[in-house]
Amino acid sequence: MSAPGALRRVAPWLLLLLAAGVWLGPDYALGQATMVATYAIAGLGVVIVVGQAGQVTFGQGALVALGAYAEAVLAGRGVPVILSLPAAVALGAAGGALASLPAWRLGGLYFGMSTLAFALLVEEALVRWEGLTRGAAGLATPALALAGVALDAPLAQALASLATLLCALFFCRRLLASRLGRAWRAVREDEAAAEACGIDAARAKTLAFAVGGALSGLAGALYAHWIGFISPEQFGLMFSFELLMLAFIGGARRLAGAAWGALVIVAIPQGIAVLRDLLPGDWARAAGLEAMLFGAVIVAVVLLRPGGIAGRR
Amino acid sequence: MLALLQVLASGIAIGCVYGLVALSFVLIYKATETVSFMQGELLMLGAFAALGLHLGAGLPLALAAAGAVASMALLGAGLERAVLRRAIGQPHLVAVLLTFGLGLMVRGGIAAVPVATQGMYRLPFADGSVQLGPLTLASGHLLVIGATVILAGLLALFFRFTRAGLALRACSEDARVAALMGVPVDRMHTLAWSLGAALAAVAGLLLAPITFVHLNMGLVALKAFPAAVLGGLTSLPGALAGGVFLGVVEAVAGLLLPEGVKDAVPYALLLVVLLLFPGGFAGGGARSGR
Repeated sequence: MSAPGALRRVAPWLLLLLAAGVWLGPDYALGQATMVATYAIAGLGVVIVVGQAGQVTFGQGALVALGAYAEAVLAGRGVPVILSLPAAVALGAAGGALASLPAWRLGGLYFGMSTLAFALLVEEALVRWEGLTRGAAGLATPALALAGVALDAPLAQALASLATLLCALFFCRRLLASRLGRAWRAVREDEAAAEACGIDAARAKTLAFAVGGALSGLAGALYAHWIGFISPEQFGLMFSFELLMLAFIGGARRLAGAAWGALVIVAIPQGIAVLRDLLPGDWARAAGLEAMLFGAVIVAVVLLRPGGIAGRR
Repeated sequence: MLALLQVLASGIAIGCVYGLVALSFVLIYKATETVSFMQGELLMLGAFAALGLHLGAGLPLALAAAGAVASMALLGAGLERAVLRRAIGQPHLVAVLLTFGLGLMVRGGIAAVPVATQGMYRLPFADGSVQLGPLTLASGHLLVIGATVILAGLLALFFRFTRAGLALRACSEDARVAALMGVPVDRMHTLAWSLGAALAAVAGLLLAPITFVHLNMGLVALKAFPAAVLGGLTSLPGALAGGVFLGVVEAVAGLLLPEGVKDAVPYALLLVVLLLFPGGFAGGGARSGR
């Protein structure tokens, strides 16, 4: 990417952050930027699995949960982040690889159902394994400490998560340009044709899930630090679908789609909060507004802009 | 022994509800190739519609129930005409997200009604129990089982002996050939969705005496997916049988296995079945599920 090209891509994001900082206050805007970046990393995992390798996954939230719990458990026992973060990433990748095993025998919707079952079993295990996860009561996570300095200021957290996101984007760009990336696209377009060209489709799928799981595990680890408290119900089926919607709203075919989708997913609840102040009476207190808006946005995107925000049409 | 029989009865009853929801899912999937993730929301909406017509508008219960099912059938047809038609021929995920989004809107719409979120409601029918010798059975359970048997019979008759049923079967066999034979495929898609929505509403009504009517009653549809897969995803009797099987297994697991394992059983079972029989029990071993 040339320097002006990079500038042209980053400029709207900086302007957005600046506008949000002026409008909502710098600390709040930085906090939201942290969440957008973290969601975007998790969404990158879905973009790889769904948009690049063309597989169905209904259980990405469980992989985020694995990363978050690995990080929370290890950090809670005083393991330095330089060890715990790779462990979280590895656990996410291992979980992804495990979830992809049924793909060796199953295709399409059947495989999607198996990822759904996998996610529900992981959630159940997190609730039941109380000795490690403290069950439904949840687990507190200390602030992220880099080289002995705790990152608890909004600016530091935003910088850390944005830097991680940029690294992840760079990594994925390289990966998509590699032999493996081409194999994923070939499997996505036509599995039989890909195999006829000598591509090991099962291996490509498993690697897609492993990479997607690693990214989601990384996002989960960061998420656990930023939120400071995790419990199994945060990573339920709804969260998996939120990530799926994120990828579709942003555009699953392009890496930038994860960032745009994350922006929308994080902004919707905030938009509701603003609307609540403007709307009169009962409507403002109605609990269903958020679900309704989420639903309307995803239906509108699927119908009106099937390629997502970042997609070319 | 007595306890086992009672557990079995309740397992079969809840399994019938799983089966009905799985049936609606498979019906839609077969006819339109659309994966519906909104059956749970349709089920809830159906139950709330009956509740609203009965308690809100003061209609007699039977009329309210019939009205709810009819209006859900209309809603299903309307949604197909307006929105869901666009998902045909696209990848599965598009339909999944579309129906999930619609489901979210339905759920949000109900949650926005303050009265609906304030607790659990009951539809005042079938809340006694029946004594059969030494056996005590909840009449709600018996009602579910009886209604499911009747409904399955009616559906079998519909598919076997009516023109529309035959056309619907032709559509799910091969839409293009059906179209060449003069079957109005578009209208069959609408019919499939309205039947699917109506079936979900019936399942909601039948579930009402067992779990009451509340915002999260649609979660039962999550158990319908394993049921549908157990039945092979393309077999209507298979879906119903899968649902009943799942309900019984779950009930027996609740009796025999430690507390809490019960909820994980359907999904563990689903994974095992998918790995051992990739086409579901009813799909036969030869077909891989592509």
